[in-house]
This record gives sequence, C-alpha cells and structure tokens, in this order.
Amino acid sequence: MIALLRSLRSLILGETWTIPLGVGAAILVAALLRSAFSDQLWDELGGFVLAGMVAATLIGSIFRASGR
Amino acid sequence: MAVATAAVGIEMLEALAIVLAVGVERRMRDALIGALAAAVAVLALCAAVGPALLSGADLSSLRVLVGALLLLFGLEWLRKGVLRMAGLRRRSSSYDEYLEERDALATDPTLSGRDWAARIVAFKGVFLEGLEVGLIVLALGSSHGGLLPALLGAALALCAVIGIGLVLHAPLRRLPETQLKLGVGVALTAFGTFFTAEGLGVEWPLGDAALLYLAAGFAAVASLAAVRLRVPPRYPAEAAR
Repeated sequence: MIALLRSLRSLILGETWTIPLGVGAAILVAALLRSAFSDQLWDELGGFVLAGMVAATLIGSIFRASGR
Repeated sequence: MAVATAAVGIEMLEALAIVLAVGVERRMRDALIGALAAAVAVLALCAAVGPALLSGADLSSLRVLVGALLLLFGLEWLRKGVLRMAGLRRRSSSYDEYLEERDALATDPTLSGRDWAARIVAFKGVFLEGLEVGLIVLALGSSHGGLLPALLGAALALCAVIGIGLVLHAPLRRLPETQLKLGVGVALTAFGTFFTAEGLGVEWPLGDAALLYLAAGFAAVASLAAVRLRVPPRYPAEAAR
C-alpha cells in the first residue's frame, strides 16, 4: 500500500521536487505580477513571462538532475 | 486530439508491456483479471471525480488547475526526455520494461490456484499508467474543444496499442519511444503554459496559434539543453540505437 502511495506521489509530482516547486512558484509569481502590471501590459506580456518561468523550471530541473 | 492520442498511446504501451510480461511469465488469465480490475478502478475514479472537479470550479481557476497539472506532467516528460537524449539516462523502451518485468516475475514462484502476485503486478501497472491517462484526458478535455476530441484520441490510441499487442515484439522494439515522449512533453508543456496563462487573464497574441510558438520555444530549449549536456552513452545498448 505504501509502495502504491509512493508511486502515486511520483506519478503526480514526478521524481524530483524541482518541477512541482518551480511550477508553483511560477504561478504564484505570475499572479503577483498580474496585480502589479497594468491590464494592458499583463495582457500582452504575461504569457511570455509565465513561459519564461516555465522554461527556467525546465532548465533548472534538467541541470539539477545532471549534477552540473 | 493528437496530443491525447500520443500521450495515451505511450502510457498504454507501458501498461501493455507489464500485462504481457505478467501474462507470459505467469498466466495470461491472471494478468487480464488484474488489468481489467485496474481499468474499471480508473474509469470509476475518473467518472466520480471528473464531473465534480469540472463543475465545482470557476473557469479561470479550472484553467490554472488544469494548466498546472499539464505542466507537471509535461515538464517531467521533457526533463526525462532531455536526459535520455543527452545520454545521462537509459532510453525509454517498453520492450526493455517487458523483459525486466518478465525476469522479475520468473524469480517469484508461481502459486497454485489464484495467482494474486501476478494479478497485483498487472493491477498496479495498469492502474498507475491508466490514472495518468485519465488525468491527461480530463485536463485536455476540460479546457479546450471539449471532452469528445480528447476521448476520441484516447480511444484511437487504445485501439492502436491493442493492435500492437496482438502482433507484439518487433513493432514494440522499433518505436522511437524516447523521441515520442519528448514530443508529447513539449506538447503538454505548451498546453499547460497556454491554459495557465489564460486562467491568469492573459490574451495570447495570435490566439490559439500561440500553442505553436510555445511548443517551438520549449522544443528549442529542450534541444539546446540536450546538446549542451551530451555525453558518450553510459549504457552499452544505447550506442547501437
């Protein structure tokens, strides 16, 4: 049963904490920036800001796993 | 629909490898009983949780939730895909999984009568892979274009995998699974970013076409990372592929 729960955790969150933490932080920061930006600026740039943070999470998780 | 087909196809292929390994090494009847029980459990879980999840949240929150879920899956697939392409992780192969599972079961003595060990192995394999399929189909279906295209894609993939299962071995060995998983990872990450941003009130330039440039961007990042990290293959079999 514990093995099944462990498998479920790794199924949802993956093998590393870098990705869930990175995704959570990206969404939190994006939500904060949304309230700081003007509506028009957020409409135009918000998606790219989020995409940049997602790409940074990807790069961080890859380099962390590779040990470099 | 294409993303659902690819994601479901790959996950089902992995489940198929486990069921076949159990069936060949122990008894096909016990493997099918375990697999069938897992399929029923996943369907029941999706039917119970899915509608409640979809009707209980407002659209913006739902998009963020679905986007985050797709990002978790997509980034994990991408991370593993890049490490595999760079030679830092063993390449993905359902055929190798099949062989490993079969060898592991061969060391476990077969019980007479009902083989619960075989049923549990088949159940666990199909349940975990099926749950991931269910989550991806629900996430894609709930946010874009409705559940029907995602379900059609899943059904198409299921038929393809059953077809492969009937004439297994050679087709399973020939599939470029590492590249397929990397491609699905790119697509899921692009969809996840798109939905999350929409949930946070973003208007994407060029509308739905944003998915294309997002996918191109993530594919470029993944390719650059794989090139930057590339090392001589650690696993002897990799060199031949």
